[in-house]
Amino acid sequence: MFRWCLFALTLSLLSSPLVGQSAEDGPAFFEKNIRPLFIAQCLGCHSATSQPIMGGLRLDTREHTLKGGSRGPSVVPGNPTDSLLLKVVRHTAGPLKMPPGPKMKDADAALLAQWIEMGAPWGNAAVSAAPAAAKKYWAFVPPASAPVPATKNTAWPRSPIDRFVLAALEAKGLSPAPPADKRTLLRRATYDLTGLPPTPEQVQAFLADQSPDAYAKVVDRLLASPRYGERWARHWLDVARYADSNGLDENLVYKNAFRYRDYVIAAFNKDKPYNQFLTEQLAGDLLPPAPDLATTFERWTATGFLSLGAKMLAEDDPMKMQMDIVDEQLDTTARAFLGLTVGCARCHDHKFDPISHADYYSLAGIFKSSKTMENFKVVAKWHEYVLAPKEDRDRLAAHEANVEAKRKEIANLTKDENNRLANLGRRQLGAYLRAAAHLQRDSQIQIAPLETAPSAITRAAGSFDRGNIPPTLEKGKANTPPKSTGPYFAEYTIQVRAAGQYQIDILDLERGAGTADLHVNGVWAKRGLPPVQNRAASPETGGWSYLAIVPLKAGANTIRLEHASRFPYFAQLLIARHTLPQTPLTSVQIAARYNVHPGFLEQLVEYFDRSAAAPASVLYAWEIQGTGAPLSAWVSPAAKLFPTVPPNPDALAARYETLFQQSLEPNLTDPGLKALHEFLHEKFGPFRAPADARRFFAPTLQARLKLLDAELKSLEAATPVFPRAMGVREGDQIDDLAIHLRGSHWNLGPKVPRRFLKVLSGDSPPAIGPTESGRLQLAQWLTAPGHPLTSRVMVNRLWRWHFGRGIVPSVDNFGRLGEKPSNQPLLDWLALRFVEQGWSLKAMHREMMLSATYQMSSDFNAQAAEADPENVLLWRMPRRRLEAEAIRDAIIATAGALSADHPGGSMLTYKDREYVANTAKGSNVDYDRPIRSIYVPLLRSSLYEVFQAFDLPDPASSNGDRDSTVVAPQALFMMNSSVMLKNSRRLAEYLLSRQDLDDTARIRLAYERALSRPPTPGEIDQAQTFIAQIQPDWANDPVKAWQSFAKSLLSANEFIYLN
Amino acid sequence: MTRRHLLHSASAGFGSLALSGLLGLEQARAAAADPLAVRAPHFPARAKRVIFLFMHGGPSQVDTFDYKPLLKRDHGKPLPFARPKVVSSETFNLLQSPWAFKQYGQSGAWVSDLFPELSKCVDDICFVKSMYGSNSRHGGALLELHTGSDTFIRPAMGSWITYGLGTENSNMPGFLTICPTQSHGGANNFGSAFLPAPYAGTAIGSVGIPARDARIPFISNTETPRPIQRKEIDYSQKLNRQQLALTGPDRALEGRIESFELAFRMQAEAPELQDLGHESEATKKLYGLDNPITEDFGRQCLMARRFSEKGVRFVQVSHTYKWDQHERLKRDHAQNAAEVDVPIAGLLRDLKSRGLLEDTLVLWGGEFGRTPTAQGSDGRDHNPEAFTMWMAGGGVKPGLSYGATDDYGYYSVENKVHFHDLHATILHLLGLDHLKLTYRYAGRDFRLTDVHGHVVKGILA
Repeated sequence: MFRWCLFALTLSLLSSPLVGQSAEDGPAFFEKNIRPLFIAQCLGCHSATSQPIMGGLRLDTREHTLKGGSRGPSVVPGNPTDSLLLKVVRHTAGPLKMPPGPKMKDADAALLAQWIEMGAPWGNAAVSAAPAAAKKYWAFVPPASAPVPATKNTAWPRSPIDRFVLAALEAKGLSPAPPADKRTLLRRATYDLTGLPPTPEQVQAFLADQSPDAYAKVVDRLLASPRYGERWARHWLDVARYADSNGLDENLVYKNAFRYRDYVIAAFNKDKPYNQFLTEQLAGDLLPPAPDLATTFERWTATGFLSLGAKMLAEDDPMKMQMDIVDEQLDTTARAFLGLTVGCARCHDHKFDPISHADYYSLAGIFKSSKTMENFKVVAKWHEYVLAPKEDRDRLAAHEANVEAKRKEIANLTKDENNRLANLGRRQLGAYLRAAAHLQRDSQIQIAPLETAPSAITRAAGSFDRGNIPPTLEKGKANTPPKSTGPYFAEYTIQVRAAGQYQIDILDLERGAGTADLHVNGVWAKRGLPPVQNRAASPETGGWSYLAIVPLKAGANTIRLEHASRFPYFAQLLIARHTLPQTPLTSVQIAARYNVHPGFLEQLVEYFDRSAAAPASVLYAWEIQGTGAPLSAWVSPAAKLFPTVPPNPDALAARYETLFQQSLEPNLTDPGLKALHEFLHEKFGPFRAPADARRFFAPTLQARLKLLDAELKSLEAATPVFPRAMGVREGDQIDDLAIHLRGSHWNLGPKVPRRFLKVLSGDSPPAIGPTESGRLQLAQWLTAPGHPLTSRVMVNRLWRWHFGRGIVPSVDNFGRLGEKPSNQPLLDWLALRFVEQGWSLKAMHREMMLSATYQMSSDFNAQAAEADPENVLLWRMPRRRLEAEAIRDAIIATAGALSADHPGGSMLTYKDREYVANTAKGSNVDYDRPIRSIYVPLLRSSLYEVFQAFDLPDPASSNGDRDSTVVAPQALFMMNSSVMLKNSRRLAEYLLSRQDLDDTARIRLAYERALSRPPTPGEIDQAQTFIAQIQPDWANDPVKAWQSFAKSLLSANEFIYLN
Repeated sequence: MTRRHLLHSASAGFGSLALSGLLGLEQARAAAADPLAVRAPHFPARAKRVIFLFMHGGPSQVDTFDYKPLLKRDHGKPLPFARPKVVSSETFNLLQSPWAFKQYGQSGAWVSDLFPELSKCVDDICFVKSMYGSNSRHGGALLELHTGSDTFIRPAMGSWITYGLGTENSNMPGFLTICPTQSHGGANNFGSAFLPAPYAGTAIGSVGIPARDARIPFISNTETPRPIQRKEIDYSQKLNRQQLALTGPDRALEGRIESFELAFRMQAEAPELQDLGHESEATKKLYGLDNPITEDFGRQCLMARRFSEKGVRFVQVSHTYKWDQHERLKRDHAQNAAEVDVPIAGLLRDLKSRGLLEDTLVLWGGEFGRTPTAQGSDGRDHNPEAFTMWMAGGGVKPGLSYGATDDYGYYSVENKVHFHDLHATILHLLGLDHLKLTYRYAGRDFRLTDVHGHVVKGILA
């Protein structure tokens, strides 16, 4: 072997162009060396018959070879160094590396180099490509029935499967492992079909059953168990990238996704034929009318398959959003059913598989013509079916229209009133300017909180005389009565001896939570502040603040704090005589004095703050008063309106007011007046409606709006509730798509008709009518019995889930960059058998599980391991680690706590479309609830740590394969998780509760439950010693000691690795 | 057997698999399969590790580091050129910065009054003022920043880096993220996607959990005293070894035995690293732990230094979703800056005094910048067209301002740096060629930079 390698190396050196000139003449050299190399390695994708011709490059004629493809000439005769072809095969041309898969042998590359050096001579025939090479790729040729091979060993095989496996083993001089013992087999089959351990009773029954079909009966029993669907649906959910939340950018809850999950469980349990299962998921809504509603709803629910993907729901470019969703559906569909990666062709022809850019948009047109989304707004809304009879759906639509009308009525009233108020303000600029100046002046005056003052009155927060809040205003306690709506208020009656100005201070318990409005004797004195944005992680420290200075009368005064929604936490109020020389007023007080709108006033001051006398401001002349800034710097068109500037503020304000009133006239021509007009109507200018606009409305209107609000609320509450399911229906617009050049919708090419992958289409693919999306035809095409991929891909998945490794190991990729089948005749036999048996999954389980192959032991064999270290040919049954769900279920089941109940709908307490896990609390899911893992919600980008640690594939994309890594977080889970701690304790308590058993029998029972076998005498000894030794450490608490034992047993490798 | 197969079937724990020599061949295989073993870079590295200070929400470049005098002059005027085709919200006229800018240090870098402490460190900093991305929404932009893709779920940059280099501390994960966000892509921003699980970022706490309470999942339980747990593990390991004697060699079973030992060591080491009690009062003060405003972020920064010091490859610190000032820019940007200014300056000084800044790359920034035009009256909208990020240490030129935006800071115009270029550059500083760091998945060789990315040579020291 070693010698042969050396020899080969020498040979390749000899044939390199560096070593001498070739004596052969050009055409002969080409025919002998280059043509076979091209045929074997290149022409599949690079000839006239390739579909498509990859990169536009053909290597079937000299002319085409020299001309090259989209990247220019492939060969420069006489110059190997500059020839792209050579660079590409030597992997020195950057990312472009050919041929796909393993790098071209150095010897072959050297031949190519030599040939180019020779001037790239061509052979005799002009064209001699491998005819239709692309179509000959094994996976694109329908499976053909081949004879079941004969084997030397005729005693071992039980089924054709075994003969295929054995023939491959014998070819390598290997033989199968001996059969597994009955306990191992039962444990294997039970976990395999139900994801749960066999009970000790089931083990006993199987051991006792000596009939020849004892094992077959077990397989039938397991297949008939409802636990089977719960196990195998989970496999399919990996492929369907199932999750209960969106999780890509905006993590909204898919509250109704569970219906699809339950649909899949039911489909497996009732052995729904796979062709039907597939069709329902792609086009359930398009099947001929069902006889009953339940069936109709089931079919609608099945289309959830297309809708469940992770979507960018906040994307400012709606067309990009739509095409991304289409891409996700297309990619998932192709991976799930065809085992092909089609997504690559979104931007260009697929580099390795014959899937063209046009193919992609032909398929994409089908999904684009289907309706997945209600809209593409930020945040977008996905479509859901209402699972109710037509009359109810109509009733719902009518009701929703009423709600919308009510909403509109409120919006219109609000808008009209805002306009009225703004128009009023726009005519009073003089008052606004003077009020703003006053407010700017007063806000410069700093008033410190007094904290204490002689003869100050203090009131504890909870000591209010009237109010509708709980008297204990403490941080961390509810500060509003349950089930109430605001406004919330607290009123304090304050007695003062003398009339005059008083300062009011407040001792806050937190900052940034917003503050309440202040009213004194029925007069509004101060506006509350909104809370600080994102204050979750902001430090909250309280302290004294100054609120306002207000006039009080002698005797009783009423101080009222009011807040519309949440009442801020505070501890005390302090009222003290105002003794300072200056009396600054609040914006509300000033607005009252000048008779202007406090909201607009504040917004005008805000404008001045921002502007800081910007030269482009129409109010520049006003802003620079007293600053000495030059009027000449004023660049606004409004400057022309001020040939002179009145000398005092009141006169200037009056002048501005006159001009602003003129700017409200129609048909303006003067640029200065136009600028003033613009200022008054700026969208974000001072006269925009403030956030709390309503509080400034006339009381009668406020009352009316309140009434309408209540009506809207009760109308909304009265919306009939029906079950809903995520799903897809025919689109509002059905049309072919244009090719998106480089994948961009800003750059469109020609339109392409909706159809299927050309290379696989066969002679008469189902035709798509102009008013149909084509989903139904897509399903028909996929499930046609002769389809080369659909049946192969699915039986390969089943094989993967039974044997831990697919016959094609890359289960989701049957393309050229996937892996080759380890036993194609077997794969094809299974695929044909699958269709022959009516696409029945349960029939295929029987085929596989009743084979001798499946029933082998996993015993090690050094010789076989040497020849086939990865056990590709199945010389033994591979040892497999349980999946995440099975591990969790097994722990709970071993403790005797696993409930067989369906949780009844979704376990999520979120509402549909609500955001998940944006809070410190994380998610609100009770992961320890003892129900089967398949019912535990999968929140994308917030996956349950246990599932994540044990290799649950990211439900972002379709995935038929699972890793089984061994990493420290898994060990941490075993050591510290609540699942482990709770259930090991349960197991310990159960064992100790068995008064009928002694310790030996308890240990035996624990072993039988956890490992489906009795302990050896040595193991009993070890366990007893361990328990005895650890009990004193636990202060002689026997439960704790037995829990330590249970924990250790459940942590052992044997518990989670199946032989 | 491909590397991928090894990784997928029997990867080890957090560190090297020191198997007890059961079989020479198996041991060699296991070592090759150890996903977190230290691997040599493609070429000599300038940085060995990264600390990423993530400012979630999008800090405004024109209010922090990108000084635009014309914005002040033309305040209130319309933007004199076209806005991007796709915007997140409508914005109005130009809005000047509420903060004054001054030049600092030898380098004369411009910094606004928002960062009084950081302004003293500018000579150690390399500002990249010409950053741009392609997505105007938080989710897309976060994913683009962290993973290079705003369309698909892809491995995070920390995952790629750990995949490329392994980790230097076998008792700790190679990629840690302290108090990460759960929104806008959430865990996708530190997930390993199709890379094997050991490369996923390990979250310590999450957004909203005070840094002092942040823990690695399952790192401890309150029920089982350490010595008892040791005995439990010993007993379990005894069962494992007995079984292994019966099964014959099995990488997974052997690896799992080792993983318990690693977990046990990690359980001791991680809390130790998180415990800031041993730090001096001076150090705590340096990071602002003495002030309630800076305490939380300071704690995160100090933890980051401790993790980095102990060989964690990539540490991310998140100033949670606070920088999104569509309104109340003046108040909230000031508050945000006040929370991070002292801790970040403290981190830079501390790293420098310990000689760690030399080979630690510190990266600061958000998912996009903000518009120089006003949204509402006191806010700015998202702006992926231009923003500033900065780097320090680890082989970048200190005291440099690289690239430029237009007169108002709306678009990057000079020496533009896309996220892909940033990623290529970070990998380069770590000694990794972004074109060569690939992983084959679904029939394609994937890269952090997809089919894009150029190393920004101009900022390399």
